[in-house]
Order: sequence, then C-alpha cells, then structure tokens
Amino acid sequence: MRTPLSPRSAVPWRAKRAGASPAYHALTVIPVLLLVGLFTLFPLGYAAITSTRRVLLTLPGSTPFIGLRNYAQVLHDSTTHVAVKNTFLFTALTVPSVIVVGFLVALLLHQPIRGFGLLRALVLLPWSIPLVSAGIIWRLLLHGDFGALNGLLLQLGVVHSYVPWLSSPRLAIQAVALAHVWREFPLPAILILAGLQVIPRETVEAATVEGAGAWARFWHILLPWLRGPLLIILVYETMISVSVFDLVYVLTGGGPGSATTLFSWYTYTSTFTFLNLGHGAALSFIMAGALVVFIALYLRLIRVEARSA
Amino acid sequence: MKRAAGIRQISLGGAGILLGVFIVFPFLWALSASLQTELAIFRRPPSWAPAPATVANYLYVFTGRIPEGYAVRGLLRSTITQEARLLPPGLRNSLEVALGVIVVNLALGPLSAYTFARERFPGKEIAYFLILGTRLLPAVAVAIPIYLIVKQAGLLDTKLALTLIYSAFTLPFTIWVLTLYIRSLPIEVEEAALVDGCTRFTVLRRVVIPLARPGLAAIAAFSFLFSYSEFFFALLMTSSINAKTTPVVIASISVNPDSSYTLIAVGIVLSIIPPMLLALLFRRFITSSLVASMEQA
Amino acid sequence: MQSSIRPGSWTRRDFLKLAGASAASGGLGGVAALARRAEAQPSPVHLNFMVWSYGIETIQDNIKSFQQRNPTITVSLQDTSWFNYHDAMATKFATGDAPDVAYSSDHWLREWVAADWIAPLDQYAPGLAGAQGEWAPYARQGMTLGGHLYGLPYYADLIIFIYNAKTLKQAGFDHPPATWEELAAQAKTIKDKGLSEYPIDIPLKKDDPWTIEIFYSMVYSRGGHMFDKADAPVFNAPGSKAPLALDWLRDALRNKILDPAVLESAEPDVVKTMGAGQHVFTVLAKYNLAELNAGQHEQKGNFRMALMPGDSHSTVGFVRFYALTKAAVTRHHAEAAGKFLQYFGGKTDGRYLVPQRWALEKGLGFAQLPLYDDPQIKAAINAWGSVSLERQQAKLAAVKEGLTPSWGTWDVYAREQIGNVIVGSVSSQQAIKNMAAKWSELK
Repeated sequence: MRTPLSPRSAVPWRAKRAGASPAYHALTVIPVLLLVGLFTLFPLGYAAITSTRRVLLTLPGSTPFIGLRNYAQVLHDSTTHVAVKNTFLFTALTVPSVIVVGFLVALLLHQPIRGFGLLRALVLLPWSIPLVSAGIIWRLLLHGDFGALNGLLLQLGVVHSYVPWLSSPRLAIQAVALAHVWREFPLPAILILAGLQVIPRETVEAATVEGAGAWARFWHILLPWLRGPLLIILVYETMISVSVFDLVYVLTGGGPGSATTLFSWYTYTSTFTFLNLGHGAALSFIMAGALVVFIALYLRLIRVEARSA
Repeated sequence: MKRAAGIRQISLGGAGILLGVFIVFPFLWALSASLQTELAIFRRPPSWAPAPATVANYLYVFTGRIPEGYAVRGLLRSTITQEARLLPPGLRNSLEVALGVIVVNLALGPLSAYTFARERFPGKEIAYFLILGTRLLPAVAVAIPIYLIVKQAGLLDTKLALTLIYSAFTLPFTIWVLTLYIRSLPIEVEEAALVDGCTRFTVLRRVVIPLARPGLAAIAAFSFLFSYSEFFFALLMTSSINAKTTPVVIASISVNPDSSYTLIAVGIVLSIIPPMLLALLFRRFITSSLVASMEQA
Repeated sequence: MQSSIRPGSWTRRDFLKLAGASAASGGLGGVAALARRAEAQPSPVHLNFMVWSYGIETIQDNIKSFQQRNPTITVSLQDTSWFNYHDAMATKFATGDAPDVAYSSDHWLREWVAADWIAPLDQYAPGLAGAQGEWAPYARQGMTLGGHLYGLPYYADLIIFIYNAKTLKQAGFDHPPATWEELAAQAKTIKDKGLSEYPIDIPLKKDDPWTIEIFYSMVYSRGGHMFDKADAPVFNAPGSKAPLALDWLRDALRNKILDPAVLESAEPDVVKTMGAGQHVFTVLAKYNLAELNAGQHEQKGNFRMALMPGDSHSTVGFVRFYALTKAAVTRHHAEAAGKFLQYFGGKTDGRYLVPQRWALEKGLGFAQLPLYDDPQIKAAINAWGSVSLERQQAKLAAVKEGLTPSWGTWDVYAREQIGNVIVGSVSSQQAIKNMAAKWSELK
C-alpha cells in the first residue's frame, strides 16, 4: 500500500503518534470490559454488600446491615480454623509435590530415550480432563471396598487388605492430594520441559567440561535458568490448591469428619447448605484477600529477582 | 563406561514406564470398568481386563437398549438409571457451549489484546488490571449474583448463559496471553505497515493475526478446556437437559443409586474423549504459548 | 401442547355440559362459581415442576397422562441430583425463581415454611387435605406444621434392618439379631468363621443425607429420643441412648466388624458391596431391599428384613412430598397446581394411580395405607420383602424429632461429629456436647 506522496509518509513515523484513534481504543476494549465486568465486578460489589449484612435464607425479608460482624463471626468460628488448617496442610502438601513431580518428570522426559516422544504426548492428558471426571475416576480407584488402586496394591502384595483411603482422617487428605497431584503435575512438567529444551547446550557443556557434576549443574545452571517459570508456576499452583473445590465435592464431601473441609468447600457449605449468605460472602473475601496478599508478595519477589538478574 | 551408560538407559526407561503407568492407569481402569459387568468389578482384586468384554452399557447410552439382566421381570423391574441416556445430549451441549466460548474469545480477544499490546490510552493500566484481577474472587462468592443476572435476562437453563459466563471468565486469560504473545512479535513489521497508511485494525487483520496463529490456537484450546470442564456454574445455572453439560450429567449419574458403576465408568470415558483428543492435537500450541507468555511476564 | 379449550370457542352447549358434570359430581356449588370456572378454565396454565433425579422417565410419563386429563395445564419438568437438591432449591427460592410444585421432604418442612417458600394446602387447595386420614401417622406428622398440611405424599418409607439370610444360616444362626449387642456378637462370629471380613456396613459418608436418618433410627430403636416436643435436645441428657449408639459404632469399628470404609460410603456403595457379598448386615431405607433382591447382584434374593435391633424396635419413618410453592400462589397457579398435586399424590377416579405405579414399578414405599390391601402390591412387595414385617415396622416408626428450620444446618454438623467419634478423634460424650452446643448456637 505504498503511497509515497501521501501526506502521512511525509512525517517521520517516529515523531508522529502512531496508532489508532480513541474511538478504536474504546471499540476494542470496552466490549470486553463490559462482558467481564458484568460477571465479575457487579457480583463482586454484590458480594461485598452481602458480606456486611446478615443474610440468612431461613429468615427472609430481613437483611440488616451489621458491618463487619460476619467477618468477626467467621473468624471466631472453630470450623473456620479447621478449614484454614486443612487448606494450609493441603497446600503445603500439594504445591511442593506438584512442582517437584513436575520437575522430575520434565528432567526425565528431557532425556533422549526411545519411546519418550509418546510419553511427552501423553503427559498432558490428566490435566486436560474435567476435574469432575478425574474425581470420579479416583473415587473408583480409592474406595475402601472396591477401589482398583486397592486391588492393584493387594495383587502386588503391597498391602494385605483394602485401605480405606478416604475414611481415615489422616489418609483422606493425602488421597485427595494424590488425585490433585495426578491432575496438576503435567502443567509444570511441560513448562519446565520447554524451558529445559532451550537451555543453550554450550552452557551445559562448558560446565560439564569444567568438572561440574549433575547436582552442581542442576543447582547453578538449571535452577537459575528456570527461575522465572518456576515462580509463576508456584503462584499459579498455590492459587489452584487454595481454591480446590470440585475434587472435594466428588471425593469426600468435606469428610471424614472435617478432615478434608477445605476453605473453598467451607465457603460453599456456608452459602448453600447452611444458607448463611453473609458468612459465605465474608469467607470469600477473606480468601480473596489472602490470595491478593500472596500475589503481591510474589510480584515483589519477581521484581527483586528481575533487578538482581 | 558403556555399562554405566547402559544401566542409565535401563533405569531411565524404567522410570519412564512407571511414569506412563502413573498417567495411564486411571484411564485404563475407567475404560476397562466400562466394558465389564458390575459383578466383576466388586471382586477383590477386580478383574483387570474385561473377560468377556461387553458393550451393553455403551449401547444403552446411545440406543436405549436395556442390557440383559435389567429386563422387565413381571411387575418388579430392576432399575437402571435413565439418566445415563442423557450423556449424548450432555456432550452435545458441552461442545456447543465450548465452541461458542472459543468464538467469543477469538473475536474479542485479539482485538483488545492488540490494543493493550501496542496502544497507549488513558485508563489502560486500570482496564488491564480490572480485567485480570477479577479472577481472584472464588466462584462461590459470585455464584448468587451471577444467578440473579442470568435470571433477570431470562437466560436460566440456557447454553447462551453458560457461553457468556465462561467467556467472561476466559477472556482475562486470553487477553493476558495474547498481549504478551503479541508483544513478543517483532514490532517493525507492524510499524512499517502503519507507515504505509494502514489502520491499526488492518494491521491486526493482515499482519498480527497470521503471525499470532499459534497463540490463537492455544487460546482456542484453553477456552475449550475451561468451558468443557467447568462444573460449579453449570450445576447452578442448568436444571434440564436443554442446557446441562457433561460434568453436571456425569456427577449426577455418579451419585444416582440406580447407576451401576460400569455405567458410571462409561460416562467417564465418554466425557474425557473430547478434551483428551484436543490436548493431544494441540499440545504444541498450548506449551509454546504458555512458555512465550511466561518469558514475557 | 395439548389442544386447549380456547376462549371464544366456548359454546352454550359446552357450558351446560360442564354445569351438568359439576352438579352431578357435587363438586362446586353455586352458579357464580360455575361462571367463574367457565371463564377461568380456558386460559392455559403452565406449571414448573422440580424434582430430584429419580425415575425421570416415569415422572414424564405420569405428566403426560396428567396433561391428557387436564388439557389446559402443561407441565415442564426440571431435575437435579438428590445430593444437590436442597442447595439448588435454596438458590431458586432465594432468587425468586421458584417452581410451582416441588418435591420436598419432612426434614425441610419447617425450614421451607419459615422461609415462606411453600404454602399450606388447607388454605390454598382445600380439596386436597381430606385424604390424610388414610395415610401412615408418621407421614402425616412429617407434612403437618402448626396444624396446617403442606403436601401430599410422594414417597414414604422406613429405615430398616437388612441382613443376608443365606450367610446368617451358614454361620449357624437361625434368627436375626434382636439387640445391638446380639448383632455385634453375630458379626464377630461371622468374621471369625471367615464368611465376611467386615460383616456390618452402613452408609455414613459425610455428604450422604441418609447418615443422620440411620443414626436417629439407632437411637430410636434403643427406646431413646433426640429432641422433645419443644425441640429441645434430649440426646445430651443423662441416660440418653445417643452416646450408646455412638459408642456402639466406634466399638464396632475398633473390633473390626464394621467396615472401615463406612465414612466414604454413600448409599449406593453400601448396596453394591452388600450385593456383592462383602457384608452381611446393614441399616438402609427399605427400597434398597427391593434393589438387593431383584437387582444385578451376586447375592440377590438372599436378603431379608428384620425389625430394628434394640429394646423398642422403633425406627425412623420419613416422607417425601409434593409441595405447593408460595410462588405458585402469587402467580395464580394454585388451582392448576392443586389439580397436579391431586393427580400425583391423591386419588384419581378413586384410586391412588401414581403412588401405586411407583410401588409396583420401583418398589417405592408409600404413605397411603389402603394400598397395602391391593393384591398386586402385596404380591409385588412379598417378592422381595415382607408385607407383614413392613406393616409392623411402620407402626413402630416415628418421624425425626427436632426438624426446626435450623435442623438442616445442625444435621451437617452432627454428621461431622458422628464421623469424628467413629474414627476416634473425639469421645462420644464430647461429640454429644458439641452437637448440643451447636444447637443452642443455631437457635
């Protein structure tokens, strides 16, 4: 579309304000803002208001403003403490597991072994299926009376009788964690694998020549190289772990007892089972607040990293 | 030296096999269970391979032919849940909704992402933050207000409602990925086109989109996977098979006392085929776009 | 859409025919009423009917028959799974999206009335309340509040004790246990003989609503109570049987006669593993006996019911019913909805058509006692159960006590405590204290 004599080209392009009109800005951004805002900002405001009122579906017609009392009530509730403890435990268990497993798998798949191409293709599968499907599959595997995993362990002689994974408070949270790790590990695996695949060979070779063992290579080359992706994965997986819901819904319903009552599950039951919308909203904001704090911390960490890099 | 290398090969290969089993065992069991009779599954240990294999449950789902043993016996009939017949329409609904979400994302995503990537305008930072930051609030908090919105619009129990909601939930990620992806493209080509008198929109259409095709393919894949898997809002907003999606149907089947576990397994198998196919086909796009976004972030 | 009687196409002849029919059946007196009816009749009404997902095809067939008899009324059906039903209805009611008729249950009655979600039938559909004399007492109790009737029975049933008669005989016993101690002893013998690793299996999964009904029945059968007539807890009173029930469960688990997987087992899990021969004794809702003896199970045909073990042999009876929503009243659908309720829960042409169908086709229990005299039903029940034992147990059944609006919330908390006792993380005394404390907190 060269028009050498058009007035536009007479102006050096660096000098003029290249780009589009404000109308274009508006047209391309506002529809998205509206759609997203409708389903996120308005509900956010509504939830914020709800969290400051006493809203009990069993007492309709009266939703008085009670300020921050919902927050105070939930913070004092013992079930909240249990939920926080369980969530903390679950996150502390799963996030490192997902990352470590993902890392190990990436390292493994990076090796030029025959047949690993197929594995590299298969590795994304657990992550791709709906969480509900994954949950139901794992229930069929874990059940203490007919679970296939129990059958496998029995056949291999690892156990001498079926294990009630989801009936023991100690084991239940580990079982949910196992299902969670199975489902989540592919993501860090493929990201780290991609990162490994672009490490310049010269760097690694130079280090090997200089006598650096595998561990030294790992610590001084791989980790620094992957620092960025690892931090992002850390944040993402933490968010996912903290907000786990579908798995609890399908596998345990929060039980046995209150062993797998995680925070998002507790928020759900407050709203839909206990019909206390004020509490549910307050809990949601507490959870969102915690996530925001964490993300802010992370961003600061990233900025520090970037500056020191 | 060679022996060490040989041992290394074998142990790595062994680790690979273990990994393969870890990934695939749950899927294989679901498949096997779907082809067996329930009696076989409840033995300890269960029969691993279906012997004999029976497709009776699959036939029931697709054709309504009641498997042997469930046939009418006098006045008292053994139960088999009719909910399983809802799997094919549920799958259809899921696919329709997912397709709709892809269309919305591909239409609106590149448009706004390109503006964010290359343009400067007042309120840009705020708009960007608003779009991305809203993902932090858990679904439970926004469930009832969203329900109210959908109800006011008269869209309860419709696929359109789900499409809109999922689009609102996937657009932030789409825009984030695409913005970063576009920023990673060489700016000179676009600038040259601008100099030649093209509008931003034309540049988008003729220059950026062709270059961003891998990113767009990834976005399509992500949008599909998210919409297909979404459970909570689908559960809330749908109440009949007009709009019920696959996760809702299989969850319902799994708690129905009339479901044989083999039937549940059939549901699982059918529900995971579409996303698995997609993941296998779009694997490279998904990986590369995620990596590209992370490098930019 | 059925062909409807359109306004304007009413001829004098139709009007007279209608008047004649009305007069003959003595239904509505008064010409004014007739005139009003002639005006009201032609406008088609569309009803929304919400159910949990059970027997949907049967329901739709029933709806079709109803629509054929009532051409001006069309009904659309919505369903969601039983586990999600309460939460889904809460959402619907909260957002003004309520259906016209909905399934409800005795344990939600007070909550839904307090929240003004459902309407008393004697006020809005007076013709329906007449038949309640024919219903089982516990069912009537379950649908009545403050002297008002709130529904017609859909399905009423009992929690019963089920055992595998063949295995019992193999173990050398000639009668099922009459007390919980005897049950534990029989289970131990069966275990020692290698006939079953864990002879007792009960659904106690946290999100399974049956858990609390079964627990109540374990308390009732010992002659105990949970709440008094004023809805004050008595399960924490000295001498209460509730701690005994909890301790029995905990000990059964410790002695390895109770399946350790009970806390992850919902009703279908228990039914299928019982059917597969893994367990011998259970406590379940009665319709599961039909499933065990007629379904695809290795042990089918071997199961029998017995009266609940315990001093009083009492148990829990529960009723699920069709409720008329306040929303229907607001929309002026009450009359059409009343007809719907009548067809589904009451008599048509002098017979309980729909309840009979459920009984014959699915073995569902019923509250309408005259059905026990029907020879078809008698034969059907005896094919998998025992009409005489069922009748006996029904007389010894009581509704769950304490069903106040906050009971649902307390229920979930109580299930949690029960689970905690069974795994041994809290003592039964402490759990009882916690449950009582939660009750006062919720009041």
